[in-house]
Amino acid sequence: MADNHAEFIVLGAGPGGYACAFRAADLGREVVLVDPRASLGGVCLNEGCIPSKALLHAAELIRDAQHSDGWGISTGNVSVDIDKLRARKDGIVAQLTAGLSSLAERRNVRIIRGEAAFTGPKTLDIDGDSWTFEQAVIAVGSAPVQLPGWPADNRIWDSSAALELRKVPKRLAIVGGGIIGLEMATVYAALGARVVVIEFMEQIAPGVDFEAVKVLHKALESQGVTIHTRTKVSSVKATKTALTLSCEGMFSGDVKVDAAIQAVGRRASGGIVNADAAGVTTDEKGVIVVDSHCQTNIEGIFAVGDVTGNPMVAHRATYQGHVAAEVASGHAVAFETTLIPSVAYTNPELAWVGLNQGQAKEQDITHEVVGFPWSASGRNLASGSEEGFTKLVYCPNSHRLLGATLVGQNAGELLSECVLAIEMGATLKDIALTVHAHPTLSETIQLATERALGSITDL
Amino acid sequence: MKDVIASPSVRALALQKGIDLKELASALNRETITREDLQGTSRNITQISTGTSHWDVDHAAFGPVRREPMTRFAKVAAANLEASNAMIPQVTHHDRADVSMIEALRADWKEEAQVRGVKLTALAFHVKALAHALRAYPRFNASLAADTETLILKDYVHIGVAVDTEHGLMVPVVRDADQKGLWLIASEIAALAARAQRRKIGPNEMGGASMTITNLGGLGGTAFTPIVNPPEVAILGITRVETVTVWDGEKPTPRPMVPLDLSYDHRVINGADAARFMNHLCGLLSDPRQMTI
Repeated sequence: MADNHAEFIVLGAGPGGYACAFRAADLGREVVLVDPRASLGGVCLNEGCIPSKALLHAAELIRDAQHSDGWGISTGNVSVDIDKLRARKDGIVAQLTAGLSSLAERRNVRIIRGEAAFTGPKTLDIDGDSWTFEQAVIAVGSAPVQLPGWPADNRIWDSSAALELRKVPKRLAIVGGGIIGLEMATVYAALGARVVVIEFMEQIAPGVDFEAVKVLHKALESQGVTIHTRTKVSSVKATKTALTLSCEGMFSGDVKVDAAIQAVGRRASGGIVNADAAGVTTDEKGVIVVDSHCQTNIEGIFAVGDVTGNPMVAHRATYQGHVAAEVASGHAVAFETTLIPSVAYTNPELAWVGLNQGQAKEQDITHEVVGFPWSASGRNLASGSEEGFTKLVYCPNSHRLLGATLVGQNAGELLSECVLAIEMGATLKDIALTVHAHPTLSETIQLATERALGSITDL
Repeated sequence: MKDVIASPSVRALALQKGIDLKELASALNRETITREDLQGTSRNITQISTGTSHWDVDHAAFGPVRREPMTRFAKVAAANLEASNAMIPQVTHHDRADVSMIEALRADWKEEAQVRGVKLTALAFHVKALAHALRAYPRFNASLAADTETLILKDYVHIGVAVDTEHGLMVPVVRDADQKGLWLIASEIAALAARAQRRKIGPNEMGGASMTITNLGGLGGTAFTPIVNPPEVAILGITRVETVTVWDGEKPTPRPMVPLDLSYDHRVINGADAARFMNHLCGLLSDPRQMTI
């Protein structure tokens, strides 16, 4: 029993867990990384961020081919070999997870495949083996929320199942119009499914700038996606030929489909490691409460990533993972920023950070809004798109950015400039006086600041 | 955190050094904190009060206090001194002059002084000697233009004399001191000082000095570092004459020596200039006959 001792043990090998394990190893710690999956990378690499991006890229290829006529390029009918597509996607995942394994090996991080559960504040059980540890990091992530009252049926998928790409159903319902639901709608609509998105709130992508959402809403509809907002699924019936979703609200009636995806959010997985046994507090939502040092209420036990609550995104988990590793190794650091960027990799992309117009108004924060329409961007038009805009929310007194929302192709790639600007306390003038390459979409950020300052000549 | 602008790396450094950025920003009365602001701050941070300045302290918490408003006069002087200290790179050069000949002359002329009704003070000799030295070293009789692009050299020699009055410090000026005799200088100083005490000094009797003398000789001290009175480029401080044993070439001899402290604006005057100037001045004081040649 005494043989199984870990100086630093990380539970969960997702972006938070592996980043934490690798950082700790780089700081000279002896690290054990535990995960039940066959490959490292957690949900993000295996059944989340990465495979969804591969499928979204395929969707873009399909759509580009279908719309190339207008450029004088004919491709004929586009056909999709779904097995080949799935293999390509799985290949990308395999390449990345193998890369992680070699990074772990190079750092002498010991990897244990198994399920871990606490048995005390300094002890763990891993698949029946007893372990003692000095410091532990809980990075077990989150899982899709299962809607209550739905029948058990293999035509009902969660996001992980949807990304397996088992088949392309003729008719597909997606319940939940958040980032994941909308990305799945983008993929399956391009693959030929007739997609219906059912969202309970008054807009898809709830909480995001309403004007930007309007652009995405229209674009999805033009891609053949039906969207029902302010609509709730009251019951689901499974028959041999179809799933029938009875809806109430703005749309009331039955939606008959061949498959349905539940995408109503994720739930922190704090419960699965028996944190109670260690004395670690988990709230009723499965969230493990941590301070800015990623420390739980129990000395020597840290938690990072989705298991610590919203926003459940990989880039937050990675950042926290580094903080936990450094704090645990005696460094004075903290996770103190509230600025977590978000991107929906839909077509067009939707990206945002900080305060949006609606939130600033609601919270009664002194602000001004300035936008730049991408219909005036040469790069956007030359790349075959007319939609999109850049919208900045700023303080009229200090001229510092409070938030940014971008919608359009590659919006997610442009967002980081805004995040950096806010972190650095850049003023509108700082951005306006920074030379941006022409023609690029990033210019639209500079142009928006010029517009706010009255120095714009492109409008 | 919201009100302080600091880049992520600066915030990380602050955390590492245990510095509260909000406290620091308020102590520095600033919105933006840079990496430079954190250099060496980790030890001093505890001394920085949480208020808006170092002076924002509740002294009554430590014992009984009494409040006295600063007079308008004192406030003007304070602002001048603050500006001088903040804006002028100042250096102080210390030297001492043998005043045995001056003391002998004063003793010799004591009777004549009584007849003239003038007290022939040592200060009169200092004013006269300084006026002479300024003629010999014109860069000390100069002022920088406001834009610091030009040095303005003066073809007159006026010596300011700092007078300690009950209202505060006043600096009446002996005009054209280089052209006046000792008796006249001595009587002018006495008259100006007396009127300064009564605050009967006209504005045209102050200002425009080539250099100021601040004399603590009657009170004591062995040295001090006076602050340049802008726009002048130097100030001469005097403390109490001491009898010092000096090697006269053959044997140790007791000599009355006056300590002199010259603070100067290093933008205009270099250390070597100051040393040469003081050598010359001390020479004039130790042998006032040179001033008659």
